[in-house]
Amino acid sequence: MKKIYLNHTTLTFFPSLAIIPVFIAFLRESHSGGFEIVSDFFIAIIYPSFNHVVIESAWRGLQVTLCTALLSWIFSTSIGIMLAVISSNVFWKAFDIDESVGVFIRRCLAIPRAIHELVWGLLLQAFLGLSPLIAILAISIPYTAIVSRVLSDQFDSISQDNLIAIKQTGSRPLSTFITASINKMIPIIINYGGYRLECSLRSATLLGVFGLGGIGTELQLSFQSLEFREMWTSFWMLGLLMLGLENIIALFRNKFLSKATLSWKSLRNLIITLFVIFIFSLTWLRVLDINLFTDISWHHITIPSVIDFWQASLELEWIRLITGTLLLTFLSAGIAIGIPPITMMLVPTRLGIKLQSCLWTFLRLIPAPISAMILLLCSSPSIAVAALALGIHNLGVMGRLLKEGIDQQNNNLFNAIQASGANSNSTWLYAKLTVQSRSYLAYAAYRMDVLLRETAVVGLVGGVGLGWQLQESLSSFYWAQVILVIITFISMTIIGETISDRFSRYLLNSKSPIGIALKP
Amino acid sequence: MKIIELSKVFVKGDQKHRLSNINMSICSGEKIALIGANGAGKSSLISAINGTLKVDMGNATWHGSDLSKLKPRQRLQIATIWQDLRLIEELNVIQNINSGALGYHNFIWSLLNIFSPIESDLCLSYLEAVQLPKELLYKPLKELSGGQLKRVALRQKANLLLADEPIANLDQILLKEIIELLTGKKKSNSIIIPETVLISIHDTNLINSFTRVIGLYEGEIIIDKPTNELDLSELNSLYH
Amino acid sequence: MSKELNIPVRYIPVTSYPATVNAFRTKSLDLVWFGGLTGVQARLQTKGSKVIAQRDIDERFHSVFIANTSSNLTRIKSIEGLRVLKGKRFTFGSESSTSGRLMPQYYLQKAGVKTTDFKGRVPGFSGSHDATIALVQSGSYQAGVLNEKVWESNLRRGRINPSKVIVIWKTPKYHDYHWLAQGNLDKRFGKGFTEKLKNTLLGFNKKVPNQRKILNLFQANRFIPSNSSNYNNIERIGRQLKKIR
Repeated sequence: MKKIYLNHTTLTFFPSLAIIPVFIAFLRESHSGGFEIVSDFFIAIIYPSFNHVVIESAWRGLQVTLCTALLSWIFSTSIGIMLAVISSNVFWKAFDIDESVGVFIRRCLAIPRAIHELVWGLLLQAFLGLSPLIAILAISIPYTAIVSRVLSDQFDSISQDNLIAIKQTGSRPLSTFITASINKMIPIIINYGGYRLECSLRSATLLGVFGLGGIGTELQLSFQSLEFREMWTSFWMLGLLMLGLENIIALFRNKFLSKATLSWKSLRNLIITLFVIFIFSLTWLRVLDINLFTDISWHHITIPSVIDFWQASLELEWIRLITGTLLLTFLSAGIAIGIPPITMMLVPTRLGIKLQSCLWTFLRLIPAPISAMILLLCSSPSIAVAALALGIHNLGVMGRLLKEGIDQQNNNLFNAIQASGANSNSTWLYAKLTVQSRSYLAYAAYRMDVLLRETAVVGLVGGVGLGWQLQESLSSFYWAQVILVIITFISMTIIGETISDRFSRYLLNSKSPIGIALKP
Repeated sequence: MKIIELSKVFVKGDQKHRLSNINMSICSGEKIALIGANGAGKSSLISAINGTLKVDMGNATWHGSDLSKLKPRQRLQIATIWQDLRLIEELNVIQNINSGALGYHNFIWSLLNIFSPIESDLCLSYLEAVQLPKELLYKPLKELSGGQLKRVALRQKANLLLADEPIANLDQILLKEIIELLTGKKKSNSIIIPETVLISIHDTNLINSFTRVIGLYEGEIIIDKPTNELDLSELNSLYH
Repeated sequence: MSKELNIPVRYIPVTSYPATVNAFRTKSLDLVWFGGLTGVQARLQTKGSKVIAQRDIDERFHSVFIANTSSNLTRIKSIEGLRVLKGKRFTFGSESSTSGRLMPQYYLQKAGVKTTDFKGRVPGFSGSHDATIALVQSGSYQAGVLNEKVWESNLRRGRINPSKVIVIWKTPKYHDYHWLAQGNLDKRFGKGFTEKLKNTLLGFNKKVPNQRKILNLFQANRFIPSNSSNYNNIERIGRQLKKIR
């Protein structure tokens, strides 16, 4: 009897099973009716509009979006790091306090995380009015929680063993914690922090709809009227900005991390740089005639009664909503998580990886609603189209994360396996993927969270799931239902998190091999 | 027959040369002990011979082809056991043993080994040769002792075997047995003994298993002669 | 407008339907160009707000049901004919759109077609009128519904292939878009300000170049007076379809 062994590497491949049903369903329903529009879309890539009005408004929008992104990035990473510290188990262990405090804070932080930034935007705006600050808050709140979750996991996985050793030397709790984690954490924080800037940029684009303007508004308007050439003017600008930032950050990161030991001086310079960026973005927004601090005042809504909630819950088709959401999340996660390791494994050459990396940038650049539209022009609506649209957008993100992890790996194992005469695919699989698989899976779990929320944005494929229901409830101003759906999101996020925590602990601690027996 | 040839090889280092004016060749069938103090360049020399370290000056060839540009099929002939072992922590013992033989199999086999390890005869015979119990096959690496890990790392088969201090931490008797096994002194029909070996060792008592001794001092070869012509006191000059 | 009213006027584009309603309710915006449904939603949530004008075309607004020719759907004679849409892949426009969703859904309901009767048990929401045309023309959706004005302008610009997509039914007329102003404008800018604002809008004239540009962007000849009672029907339908609570 053969057994399949579960380890992080094999688990990396399982999500790709979703590819088969999704592609079959997509291809079976595909047709050529949308060929003209789809080809217009692609032709517009090399033929964007150079109309000066279009360029000017996109340029202004780009500046607004960049400032919004920078501000929310600085807010969310700096607060996120602090929350990461106090929500990690090691921090509390250093003080000899039960680590359940950390677990509790982590679970609480699932609440802001479970709500999509677009929904945060609408909620905040309903209470605080229309202000450019809304966009920044709407991004910062969930992002802070995401950063703190990712980094607190890293704190825990890195410092556990160190902590015990240092503690035995009898040093003070706080200094124990700092010595145990700081040296290994700084590179992680810098890598991850750099990556968050691009995320902020993408979200700031999405949030252009709140009267802040920004390139998102330009994109949305040209997309709504299918002016692909105008749309690509904005996309090109945004794409170049994304690439530019990516390179600046990589340059900075390499410079900062190249030193063998981190000095307090370079850390201080880092903080000063961030502060300067912060002040600069504020001033720049002012120059663009956007004042963040106008128009904020509290406007409350009537709080729904128990009967309202009861009524609202009866109106929802819970089973269909939840199963739809889960199905869409799993299928799209399968595509997003499963494809990058496979394609990189099949084409691990330098050129191959470079090309894939460009493709991923392209996929990240195109928001899911737009890719959904393009896919929908090629195939009749089905959950496969929605899953594919969400999946390929997030595939770009997962690919980037995988590649970044691999780039920072040292080459010893790779050289060793290559020197043993293994072919390039096997070498990549054994020397790169196996080493990355654990952290890749951790990122995959966070991505599932994101996908759960993003199911909201593919309504055009036929309103599937809770995300769509939330939009519908919000646009009907049916607050009782809005609250119910949000609570459901929060519960699903917490349940998902608990399961993935348990599972990863199980996988790490299991003494005997975990095998699934297959009948011969 | 000469299989490896290094002539006027230099490898730059941070301050001084890691390898300096190395001229040597390895003939088929030789059993070479590589001796030198820490930092004398033993690991660099081994890396230059297996092609993972590109030489800055001079020629390094395998049967006449440039060592750093070998095809996978040619690389297969040279196996290396690294000082830091370079095992794959994520995988279990049998998968690691198999990963030493990736060059002999196609990609599908490599992939299958990740999902469901293949208990080949070769893999079982290695286990027996290095005296590891069969129960360990499916254990994750982190449950093995340092000595056991080293023995897992001795998993390769090739014409030329390079080993970078593979045997520290092993107990004396086993150590001797393994050296004898690697140098072919002790015959074992369960494992294919490489024809030619180059092993860097610390313990000079073991050199009797070898046919030739190379001594490195600050990146240069200062001793290179057959073991039976070597005066043990010469070795002292390597350690100051 | 700034010149006519002697106060600074600032245009803030808000492209999300519910965000616009929220912005009006929280008094972040003083004058908003609303769609029928969102205008009613905003007015009901904002005490004192007033409908002040609409376009000449908004009095007699229509939606058109369109179909892909390969779906074998043909022109429908009466409202009952909408039943042929049962079991077809069907898309609305945006979820808060009056002409792309609310009124069409109302007429569908009147004909006895529920949203769960479409293929896949759910209708699509294309997000915009232009997208509806594109999706129906491609055949991904067999039928859809949109704002008649957008259909006409696409037809004029040659973006519609008549061999692929046809109009199968036009809804009866209804009131749609309108200008909605806050109720406190008189208090803030002086007595009679709201009236002055209204007259400024109504005074827009195609003979003045700047104003012609604006009216053209609105696809209108002029603005005409309007009042909230024009939208009672939308409010009723909105409540019935649970888009207004």
